[in-house]
Amino acid sequence: MPNFNIDADQQLTYDAIVIGSGISGGWAAKELCENGLKTLVLERGRIVEHVKDYPTMNLDPWDMEFRGALTPEDQLKHPVGTRAGFVGETNVHFYANDLENPYTEVKPFLWVRGHQMGGRSLLWGKQCYRWSDLDFEANLVDGHGVDWPIRYQDIEPWYEYVEKFAGISGEPLGLPQLPDSYFLPPMELNCVEKHVKQSIEKEFPGRNLIIGRVAHLTEPLNGRGKCQFRNRCDRGCPYGAYFSSNAVTLPAANATGNLTIRPYSIVQSMVYDHTKGKATGVRIIDAETNDDIVYSSRIIFCNASTLSTTQILLNSTSSRFENGLGNDSGELGHNLMDHTYRVGAMGKVEGFEDRYYQGRRPNGIYIPRYVNISPQTRSDKFLRGFGYQGGGGRTAWNDGANQEAFGAGFKDSLMKPGPWEFFITGFAECLPYHENQVSLDKDNPDKWGQPTLAIDCEFKENEKALNKQIREDAVEMLEKAGLKDVVGFDNEHEPGYGIHEMGTARMGRDPKTSVLNGTNQVHACKNVFVTDGACMTSSSCVNPSLTYMALTARAANHAVAELKRKNL
Amino acid sequence: MERRDALRKTAMVAGSAALTPTLWSLLQSCKQQPRLEWGPVFLNEVQARFISTFVDTILPKTETPGALEVKVDIFMDKVFANLYDESAKANLVSEIEKFNAACIDRFGDDFAGLNDQDRAEMLNQEEKKSGKFNGQVWGTAVGRQEPVGFYRSLKSLTLWAYFSSEVIGKNILNYDPVPGDYLGCIPLSDVGNTWSL
Repeated sequence: MPNFNIDADQQLTYDAIVIGSGISGGWAAKELCENGLKTLVLERGRIVEHVKDYPTMNLDPWDMEFRGALTPEDQLKHPVGTRAGFVGETNVHFYANDLENPYTEVKPFLWVRGHQMGGRSLLWGKQCYRWSDLDFEANLVDGHGVDWPIRYQDIEPWYEYVEKFAGISGEPLGLPQLPDSYFLPPMELNCVEKHVKQSIEKEFPGRNLIIGRVAHLTEPLNGRGKCQFRNRCDRGCPYGAYFSSNAVTLPAANATGNLTIRPYSIVQSMVYDHTKGKATGVRIIDAETNDDIVYSSRIIFCNASTLSTTQILLNSTSSRFENGLGNDSGELGHNLMDHTYRVGAMGKVEGFEDRYYQGRRPNGIYIPRYVNISPQTRSDKFLRGFGYQGGGGRTAWNDGANQEAFGAGFKDSLMKPGPWEFFITGFAECLPYHENQVSLDKDNPDKWGQPTLAIDCEFKENEKALNKQIREDAVEMLEKAGLKDVVGFDNEHEPGYGIHEMGTARMGRDPKTSVLNGTNQVHACKNVFVTDGACMTSSSCVNPSLTYMALTARAANHAVAELKRKNL
Repeated sequence: MERRDALRKTAMVAGSAALTPTLWSLLQSCKQQPRLEWGPVFLNEVQARFISTFVDTILPKTETPGALEVKVDIFMDKVFANLYDESAKANLVSEIEKFNAACIDRFGDDFAGLNDQDRAEMLNQEEKKSGKFNGQVWGTAVGRQEPVGFYRSLKSLTLWAYFSSEVIGKNILNYDPVPGDYLGCIPLSDVGNTWSL
């Protein structure tokens, strides 16, 4: 077990400071430490050590007082987590207390947070897809937002670099719109998923149904064990089989001897030195003692999570940056995006009554984007596109409540698997709109006296048109694949539900219209790097975390090179 | 038998519509129902007897254990006591009273006092008029979930309490805490019952 050095009181000066220890912060820490930089990671919450701090990882339902259900006290503390629908007795300790961390919903917006070492890397969905030039060129092609300052070839080697260390399982397909990763063996589709795959691919040439590409080990890697198919990931994995900062990047950073991680450190702002023309450190509030401390460093990586990073930048004011550090363009806080979510279709699959599966696979199927990828697939109803996640399985006893039956025969029938069901649910790209924004709410400070965020964001006509198509296509695909009782659905969620919040400190080519340059440096303050979701210039329709990893590794290695050249 | 017939007659004479809970509890106190064998935390004795009878009717003992053997009623009482807020608790009590009143109205006794056939008739009637749960994706209902009503909610809770119990989860269903691998297409005959986790 790595014992982390948490004694930051001995030393106030470091080579590098990383704000946040989630997916991107963990990568920044690893890369900077491995390059010999004495690195301080500032973590808002407590230390969560791999395995040791996973109290529920091996509990069966009956081992828990309420068998996984949340008490009313915990529900009160987690209104946002409860709305998201994923929080329970098994993982509530990895969700931030929403009451202590309020924000204002100018329009409805769900903001799920994980305030502990590892952040939401303990809770994430682990779907990993490379973006393509279809994504990096999208803004340029249709004129929404600003052009990405990078293309696929800039990030491609870094995708491979992070994939080899993180461990991504999947199947190569050779699709230009969804480039293959460096893969570990794929997980298996079950009987019905294979059947639906064949039907959809036959009925709809150009569409593919594949096993999800996921950050789960299907064979051992660097001392981590392979997935045991328990599907208890969000409690923390005792085998280290899925990628988290706690199991993967932070232990690697720690092994260098260069890492210090300071828990209970709420970052108030970054300190900017006008004469030097750069940031010199980070001011924190100790969440336990309320002490004010300033740590100094040569470079700073902001990885607090999309909105928290922007909150810190907005709160880092000086005579040079009156409206927030790096906000010369006025774009800081703007162009917030998420993916649309929970719109699709489900139905029953006849037959296969004598077939079943073994193991609880923490993964489903994926249908890559097939619209607006070529002149032949162009839609005149919307810009950009969508992909689907989904899966098939047999119903079990939980289907029994709906059956118009009870008594002896009913009970005995529930011991056997029920019919096969299959669903797909879309994720659509959201355009970057300037008016979808966050701002500091100084009238509503939190318990540490810090301004909270007001979030003013909504999906607009293009996202609604995408959702309409997602639903129609989903119903059509499942019906043509021969499913019965097909039901289309659209839960019409507000943004935030996708938990893929992106943007608000976008990368760009022009300092007049963007916050960060092509290597994630604040245009006007080059020793500050932003490599979490805040940096995103557009949202693609595929899951963003793998891209955060690659951008972070790329930016961290650039930072090291620039330090050596004495440019920072 | 005679006692029950007499009661039913009494109820009819009294006029079921006028049979207030107070009067009903007077009548009930004359009955010699077996003492409740467990001490509820939240429910009173009449409500507890209703819950015990309800779960036993939904999931009776067969070759496999029934709901009562795996203490579904006791766990549900604990859920009511600890996980229900005040308005949910009040609603539960009022729904149980309404259900018992409907039983008395129709058959002259509360649910726990009915014979198997009359209980089945009451539940069949509820099955027909109750709403259904929407399908779920990743644990959340798709589309707008309309209320399913007291009966189907309670039935759903009963199933959860039964199938999440250790006896059923470990000994009756297939318990495999660490599968090790995923096999996507195997004969059901290799497995038999559903996986418990």
